[in-house]
Amino acid sequence: MKTSPNLTDIAIKYGFLVLMAGLIVFFGMMADGFLSPFSAVFILQSVAITGILALGVTATLVVGGFDLSIGATATSALMLSSYVMVVWEMNAASAVILCLLMGMGVGLVNGLLVVKMKVPDLLATLGMMFLLVGLQRIPTEGRSISTGMALPDGSTAMGTFSDAFLMLGRHRLDLFVPKLLPLSVVFLVVIAIAVWVFLELTRHGRLMYAIGSNAQAASLAGTNVNRYKILAYMISGTLASVGGILLAARLGRGDVASGNNLLLDSVAAALIGFAVLGASKPNAFGTAIGALFVGILLQGLTMLNAPYYTQDFIKGGVLVVALVFTFALSGRGGRGRG
Amino acid sequence: MISRRLFTGLIGAAAMLPGLGWAADMPKPFDNAGDVKVALVRYLSTGDFFQAYLSGVEKQAEAIGVDLRVFDSRQDAALQADMVDQAIALGIDGIIIQHGLTESMQAAAQRAVDAGIKVVAFDVNVENAAIPQVEQSDRDLARLALEQAVEDNGNEFVAGYVYVPGIAPLDRRDETWKKVKGDNPGIKEVAQFGTLDNPIANSVANQARSVLSANPNITVMFAPYDEFAKGVKIAVDEAGMSGNVSIYSADVSTADIAAMREGGSAWKATAATNPAVVGEVSVRALAMLLAGEDPGHNVVVPPTLITQAMLNDLDIKNMGELGTKVPAFAHADVAVPGWMPLPAR
Repeated sequence: MKTSPNLTDIAIKYGFLVLMAGLIVFFGMMADGFLSPFSAVFILQSVAITGILALGVTATLVVGGFDLSIGATATSALMLSSYVMVVWEMNAASAVILCLLMGMGVGLVNGLLVVKMKVPDLLATLGMMFLLVGLQRIPTEGRSISTGMALPDGSTAMGTFSDAFLMLGRHRLDLFVPKLLPLSVVFLVVIAIAVWVFLELTRHGRLMYAIGSNAQAASLAGTNVNRYKILAYMISGTLASVGGILLAARLGRGDVASGNNLLLDSVAAALIGFAVLGASKPNAFGTAIGALFVGILLQGLTMLNAPYYTQDFIKGGVLVVALVFTFALSGRGGRGRG
Repeated sequence: MISRRLFTGLIGAAAMLPGLGWAADMPKPFDNAGDVKVALVRYLSTGDFFQAYLSGVEKQAEAIGVDLRVFDSRQDAALQADMVDQAIALGIDGIIIQHGLTESMQAAAQRAVDAGIKVVAFDVNVENAAIPQVEQSDRDLARLALEQAVEDNGNEFVAGYVYVPGIAPLDRRDETWKKVKGDNPGIKEVAQFGTLDNPIANSVANQARSVLSANPNITVMFAPYDEFAKGVKIAVDEAGMSGNVSIYSADVSTADIAAMREGGSAWKATAATNPAVVGEVSVRALAMLLAGEDPGHNVVVPPTLITQAMLNDLDIKNMGELGTKVPAFAHADVAVPGWMPLPAR
C-alpha cells in the first residue's frame, strides 16, 4: 500500500467523477429524455432535501461526530410547520422561523448532551431521534395534518398552507426555459456553497477539521473544542429543519413519517462524498456530488423501469465502492487520516 | 370500578338513542354489557387509516357498552402473538386481531379459540374456520376505480402503474389490475414503479417525475393507494401535465379530498372503504359471535367510488362531510342484527 503506482492516484482522485460521467452517458443512451434540462432539474429537485440534510451531517462528521437525529428533525419540522399554519393559523414566516428555531434547539441539545453530559455522539442523537419521532405525533395523536382534519378536542382545523410557504417547495424560476429551476434547488446550491466556504476557507472550518482529526491536540493548541462541537450540531439541526420545511412545502400537508429514509439517504451521500476527489474525509463538495450521484442513479433506473429493491441494492453497492475507495485505496495519503 | 361501569353504560345508552331508539333488550351476554371484555390486538397503528379504524372500534364498542382494551404491538409480530396470550390470561371474552402476519398469528388465534374466546380477524388471514375474516374488499376497490378510468378514458390508453409487491392489500388490488388489463388489450402499461420509502408521497413523486419524463404519452396513472396517488399528483403538477394525465386511486382522507378538488386536479377518482366503518363492523361481527350468532366467515365491507365531480357537486371538504353527504360511506349495512345498537352519527 505504501508505494502505489500513479494510476491508483488518478483512480482515487477522479474515479468517482469518471464513474458519474459514465453513468450519465449510459442513461442518456438507454433512456429517452434523460439528457434534457428538465431531467437535470428533476434530479436536482429530488436530491435537494437529502442533499441539504447531508450537508448538515457533513458538519458533524467534520468534528468527528455523527447526527442520527436529522431525519427525525426534518420530519418534526414538517409536522411543526403544518401545525403552525393549519391548526394555529399563523403565516408562512412564523412557520419558517419556528422550524428553524426548533432545528437550532435540537442541535443545541444534541451538542450539550455530547459535550457536557459526555454521551457518545451516536447514542445521544439516537435518543434524540426517538424523542422527536414520538414528540411530533403527540399534538395530533398520530394523525397527519391537513386542512379540515379533526382535532383531538373534536373541532376542525381550518388553517391552510399559505401560498408563500408552498412557493418554497414548488415555485420555479425562469432559467433559459420558463419555469425551470425550483426554489428548493436554489436553496441546495446556496447552502452547499455556504457550507463549503465555511468549512474550507474560514479559520473556523479549519479548526473544526483539526478537532475531527485530533480533538486533544486541537484543544491543547487553544481551540474551544466544546463550542465548535456544539456549533456543528446546531448547523446540522438547522439544516435538517430547512430540509423539513422544503418537504412540507412540497407535500402541502403534515405527513406522519419517521424520516429514517431521509437519514439513511443523506448519510449515504455524505459517506460517498469521502471518495470524491480522493478527499478521504467529510467535505461539502463531495457530499453534494454524492447526493447528486445517488439522484442520477435513481432517476435513470426509474426511467428504465427498475423496481425499487434493485435501486436500494445499487445504492448500497455504490456506497460500498465509495467506502473502499476511501479506506482501502487511498489509505496512504488521506489528509484527514494524518 | 362500579362508577366506571355505570359511566360506560350511560354513554352506551346515550349513544343508542338516536340509532335504534331503546335497545335495552340485547341478547346475552350484552344484557350486562359492561362485564363483557373485548380486546383489540393491533399490528399496525401509525397513520390516518389506523387511527380512523381505532375510532370506529371505540365508537361501536361504546355503543354496545362493552369494556374495550387496546393492545398495540407496533409492527412487532412476536409481541402481537404474546399480546393474544396476555388477553387470554386477562380473561377477555372476545378478541379482534387487526393485521399481522399469518405465520405468527395463526397459532395464537387458535390458542384463543381453544380457550373459549371469540375471535375475529381484520385484514390478516389466520386460517381458522372458527374465526370470521373482516375485509375491505381490495378487489372491489380496484375494480371500481378502474371501471371509472375506463369510463372516462375509453378502453384504449397508455398507463403508468404504481405498485409494491408483497403487501397483501396491494397484491389483491394488483390481481384486479392484471385482470382489467387482460380484458382490455387496448390498455398499454408502459411503466411500473413504486416505493414505500418514508415519506411515501415524496419518494413516489420523485419516481413519477422520472417516469413521466421517460413516457410523456401516459394519460392514465393507476395508483391504488392514496399515498401513491398523492405522490403522482405532485409529479404531474410539477411536470405541468395535469391537463393530460388522469389519476385513479384507492383509499381516501381529508387531505386527499382537498387534493382531488384543487382546480384542474389530475386526481379524478378514488375508491374507498371508510376505515372507521370497518372498525365498527369488526366490533359488530365480534358481538354477533359473542351473542351466539353467525356473522358469516367472510365479512366484507363494500367500498364506495368517490369522483372529483361528486366532491365538487356536493361541495365535500373533509371526511366528516363525506360521511354525511354520501351515506354509503358513513355506514355499511354489514353485521347488523336487529338488536345491535349503532354509534351516534
